[in-house]
Amino acid sequence: MNRRDLELLSSYLDGQLKPSESARLESRLSTDPDLRAVLDDLRSTRNLLRKLPMRKAPRNFTLTPKMVGKNPPLPRTYPAFRFVTALASLLLFFSMGLNYLIPQLVAQPPAFGMGGGGAPEVYSAEAPAATEAPAAAAPAEEPLVQMAPMPTPTIASADTSREMETPAAKEGITGEPSVPDQAQVQNTAPRQEMAPPIPSIWLIALAGITVLGVVVMLFMRRLAAERWRQK
Amino acid sequence: MDEQALIRDAQAGSLDAFNTLILHYQDSLYNTALRILGDEDLAADATQEAFISAFKSIGSFRGGSFKAWLMRTVTNACYDELRRQKRRPTTPLEPDSEEGEEMDSPAWLADPGMSPEQEAEADELEHALQHCLNDLPVEFKTVVVMADIQGMDYSEVAVAVRVPLGTIKSRLARARLRLRECLQGFTELLPASFRLEEGSSAS
Repeated sequence: MNRRDLELLSSYLDGQLKPSESARLESRLSTDPDLRAVLDDLRSTRNLLRKLPMRKAPRNFTLTPKMVGKNPPLPRTYPAFRFVTALASLLLFFSMGLNYLIPQLVAQPPAFGMGGGGAPEVYSAEAPAATEAPAAAAPAEEPLVQMAPMPTPTIASADTSREMETPAAKEGITGEPSVPDQAQVQNTAPRQEMAPPIPSIWLIALAGITVLGVVVMLFMRRLAAERWRQK
Repeated sequence: MDEQALIRDAQAGSLDAFNTLILHYQDSLYNTALRILGDEDLAADATQEAFISAFKSIGSFRGGSFKAWLMRTVTNACYDELRRQKRRPTTPLEPDSEEGEEMDSPAWLADPGMSPEQEAEADELEHALQHCLNDLPVEFKTVVVMADIQGMDYSEVAVAVRVPLGTIKSRLARARLRLRECLQGFTELLPASFRLEEGSSAS
């Protein structure tokens, strides 16, 4: 039995041959008992396979949203709320940033001008606010150090200790609280006078939109999840 | 059941619609997996995997026989399972019979309406056939299971296994012949009503 005849017989069994092929095969079958025997074997095997009982599924294979990683469908307006909320929160963030940074940037030039000719104590006192002050003061100190080499260690150690001291501790030690106090008052006065570039009402509105957006989105999600469960 | 409408709804994301389709096809897919894998638990796992995969990729269904499309997913799941088994072979938990063959559990019995004798016969037949199916190369087994056990036509099988029609004809013929040769060894075991017919006319 060659492979071609086997395929012909198998297809003939399933009625898959063209009429001309079927007629040719039938004429061969009528004269060839071996061919007929193979056809019978194939038919018997097919019949046995067809008799194989169909087993019932051991359980239902229905899917849950969790199994397919599917989230409940959200309303069509959800993306709009998400966009508005994200935009409002970004604007709020930048507005607050600008309100904080701009007064500082505006206030810095007068601070340099006032501190330029002042005593070292002034700079060390306002070090937390203006970090560049000690660096600016350094050139002023250098000539002194060069002209009087002997007391250098004393001056340097005194300066270092001053810079490391907190303003409160410094006041206690030096007993000169009036000088830094005046400098601070002069320094902070322009900041208090300058109004923040972004009005507070705008910040409040943005914060309100952000909070409202988050609340609405949470509500939409919960509502969608409840509807999903009820299905 | 309006299958086309359910498919459309499922493609639009409706899990309910897809679950209705699952209830309709789950027995077919499970039986296909069972005959390919020869193990109930593995077949159940493969069927579940197939339905999950089918739902995720239902957007790619472009018409034609939905059953054939589903059969492709279950065939893939079975192939994955067989590949996993090859990587880490496991010892079956079922006790072996005296002949060294695995004994089937009582749950193997199918129709509760059968008499004890019929059940015994059906069990013998099923056991013999499953044994012979297990010995077939998987690509032959898949084709014969779909064509002769599931009753799918050649074109549906070709879609399900993604091979040309000519290959389906060839695999089916060779699978039937191999099964016939294997079942000859069970002639004595098979009850009279299930014995292979001999000497029938070829017309």
